[in-house]
Amino acid sequence: MTFALLVLGGPLAAFAAIALLPPLRRSGWPAAYLTVAGSVVSLGSAFALALPFLRGTGVPVSFETVWAPLAGAGTLRFGLLVDGLSASMAALVALVALLVQVYSLAYMDGESRPALGRYFAYHALFAFAMQGLVLAHNLLQTYVFWELVGLGSYLLIGFYWEKPEAGRAALKAFWTTRLGDTGFALGLLVLWGAAGTFTFTELFAGAASGAIALPAVALGLAGIYLGAMGKSAQAPFHVWLPDAMEGPTPVSALIHAATMVAAGVYLMIRVSPLLSHAPALGTAILVIGVVTSLLAGTLALVERDLKRVLAYSTVSQLGMMMAAVGCGAPEAAYFHLLTHAFFKALLFLAAGSILHAISTGDLFSMGRLARPMPVTAGCFAVGALALAGVAPTAGFFSKDEVLSAVLLAGHPVAFTLLVVNAGITAFYIGRAFFLAMGGARAAAGHPHESPALMTVPLIALAAGSVFGGLLGPVVPRLLAASISPMAGEAAHAPLPVAVVGSIAALAGLSIAWMGYQRRSFDPGRVLAAAGPLATLLAHRYFIDDLFLFAYRRLYLGGSAVIGWLDRYVLDGLVNALAWWTWQLGGRLRSLQSGRAQDALYALAAGVVLLAWLALSR
Amino acid sequence: MRDAAFWILALILLAGALVVVSARSLVRAAFGLTAALTATAGLYLLLTAPLLAAVQILLYTGGVLTLVVFAIVVVGGEATGGKFRKPFPAAVAAVAVFATLARVIPSLPAGAPRGGLDAGAAIGASLFFRDYVLPFELLSVLLLSAVLGALLLARKDRPE
Amino acid sequence: MSLASVLLVAFAVFAIGLYGVLARRHAIAVLLSIELMFNAVNLTIVALSWSRGLLSGVVLVLFAIAITVAEIAVGLSLVLLAARRAKTVVLDELSELRG
Repeated sequence: MTFALLVLGGPLAAFAAIALLPPLRRSGWPAAYLTVAGSVVSLGSAFALALPFLRGTGVPVSFETVWAPLAGAGTLRFGLLVDGLSASMAALVALVALLVQVYSLAYMDGESRPALGRYFAYHALFAFAMQGLVLAHNLLQTYVFWELVGLGSYLLIGFYWEKPEAGRAALKAFWTTRLGDTGFALGLLVLWGAAGTFTFTELFAGAASGAIALPAVALGLAGIYLGAMGKSAQAPFHVWLPDAMEGPTPVSALIHAATMVAAGVYLMIRVSPLLSHAPALGTAILVIGVVTSLLAGTLALVERDLKRVLAYSTVSQLGMMMAAVGCGAPEAAYFHLLTHAFFKALLFLAAGSILHAISTGDLFSMGRLARPMPVTAGCFAVGALALAGVAPTAGFFSKDEVLSAVLLAGHPVAFTLLVVNAGITAFYIGRAFFLAMGGARAAAGHPHESPALMTVPLIALAAGSVFGGLLGPVVPRLLAASISPMAGEAAHAPLPVAVVGSIAALAGLSIAWMGYQRRSFDPGRVLAAAGPLATLLAHRYFIDDLFLFAYRRLYLGGSAVIGWLDRYVLDGLVNALAWWTWQLGGRLRSLQSGRAQDALYALAAGVVLLAWLALSR
Repeated sequence: MRDAAFWILALILLAGALVVVSARSLVRAAFGLTAALTATAGLYLLLTAPLLAAVQILLYTGGVLTLVVFAIVVVGGEATGGKFRKPFPAAVAAVAVFATLARVIPSLPAGAPRGGLDAGAAIGASLFFRDYVLPFELLSVLLLSAVLGALLLARKDRPE
Repeated sequence: MSLASVLLVAFAVFAIGLYGVLARRHAIAVLLSIELMFNAVNLTIVALSWSRGLLSGVVLVLFAIAITVAEIAVGLSLVLLAARRAKTVVLDELSELRG
């Protein structure tokens, strides 16, 4: 219990201190160290929580307290759930957060002190919110921290607020995820109405025993999935992720690679016992996941900016994780989530290292960076291999588990498409690597290796990307020791799948090498030859334009109509009443002419009336 | 005999009243009122109240009308140019009031009038100085205040 | 001559007086019309007490006449005052208490 509270308390204390003490924030560096200290506390406690589960001896525990008793309608509870899933995720979040914060100490050293304080305050807030989400013991609490995480993301994306693009990107992220969150909220309402509880354990029991109506379960889950779509950037809600690269690179590594975007997948894994009652939704999740995967993969092919390549790559990998969830294989999804956290964060931090050195992220301005930046180059290579899924990196194992899960669940088409995506993935990351590290022309400026504060986290993550495959057998054990136990057996990738996957990866890498390193063919001309496909890619499949259209025409148009109704009908009614009253008053006023004889008329009339009334009795 | 006198007097009364309300010249209106008041005095006589008739002539015709004539002289009777306010609604109101009043006539008690209002001494002895002494005394206060009020209102503005 | 006929005459004079009050513009003309109405009322009272043989009716009328005299005196002073101050005796123009 104490450890669980410390996991949350470390970052919260740091945030509270920085937020409530302006001098602390303005001084910059002390705030930074405080946040890092909070993260260390959080990490230590998370490891303490996770260790029993890793060894296989852990037992799920939950601590709860009554938050708000609702008369006659159930009770709202607040609690912490520590099981295999949440403890391991908490450890991952704390680890990546710490590494990123240490990295930021060097990366953000050019910022002014108050800005630095603000940055680390946001980091602490985000860490607190994310841990709260992970350790939540009921859906409502998850939602509360979900929103808080969204706030943290908004604040961090828009950190460089002087740049209008950053502000717009932050808003775009917030709005798009908010759209999904509305679905989440509706799903919550449906579930409450049907089940009368938000607690995970009670929901699972209720669904299994049939106490909760199955259509309600499916509907509620669909709503929750909508929220997950927003946070985990499933098409078409993925549009915010590439733009979110306006934020500082360490932020991208933490939030948009390892933690926040994984929250959607984590949530779906958490509620996966319920998913077995809604097979149609599972298929939908699979389809959307595969579509997302391919869509983002193709868009990553044509990006010039390194961070955006990585952003689309993240969307693509998230699609794969969701596909595994949809196939009823949450272990594969979780395994991939863990490994992806390592190698994607690694790739982003490497990109940050490059950015820090040559001040540009444009791939076509880079070249021959391997020599001046050996550590960065090496770690980048490791990350690239892991992403491409080349044995024996962690990415190889987790990718193949996802592929086999999809195949074994009986979806050969989806399997094929994901294999194609694996090839595309290998190609675009190879392209990025060769353009940045290899090539004929050297990059401009004076590229130099980054300081130790930045390279050490890189190396740590690289180690994780290499040895993370060892987590493979651990994951099922973790999930077995959770309240979301999985029915399936540990799906080891059958050899054919591994072979197919490796072929795709190697093929992609080779083509990239030939195109960008050896210059055997001109990829640019290949793209131009693709004609309409190239246009589609250039306009990002017009999805952004669709959103803009929907917003401008439909939403604003609707608002204009309602505005008109409000001004002319509702207000018109009120104004008309006022006008009539005013007119009536004016007419009545003329009765008071001030002339005595006019009043006499009234008197005479009254007397006559009264007399007639009296006389007719 | 009495009836003839009554109708003649009534006629004069009505004619005078009509003159008051319709004469363009105020002086003419004043004289119409004189005729009406005098005819009323005659009617009081017919109604066996000679004391009233005398008082009517003394006070009304003699006093009030003299005042009115003086006022007309001072103020001027031609200010309105003889124009009237809307006569039609006024006529309607007058007719309505008359009709309302006339409704009581059928419900009057039948029987011959008893008369006997000419006991002048009785009026003085038993009424003014016995049953109605208080109003009698108060009347003098009223007249005093009226005199003072009239004086105050009508005096010339003194340069302060 | 019967009670009814006297009353009718009195009522007629009352109505005529009312017409004058409502229709005439000069203040003094209105005062004259008011006198007519007073007169008609007095006649009514006398006629009714003549019909019942009650002397108190006569006393009432005597009081009424006295009061009327006082009223007319004050009324005429007001008219003089109006003529001097507001420079008009047309009642329609004395309408400052309007809404």
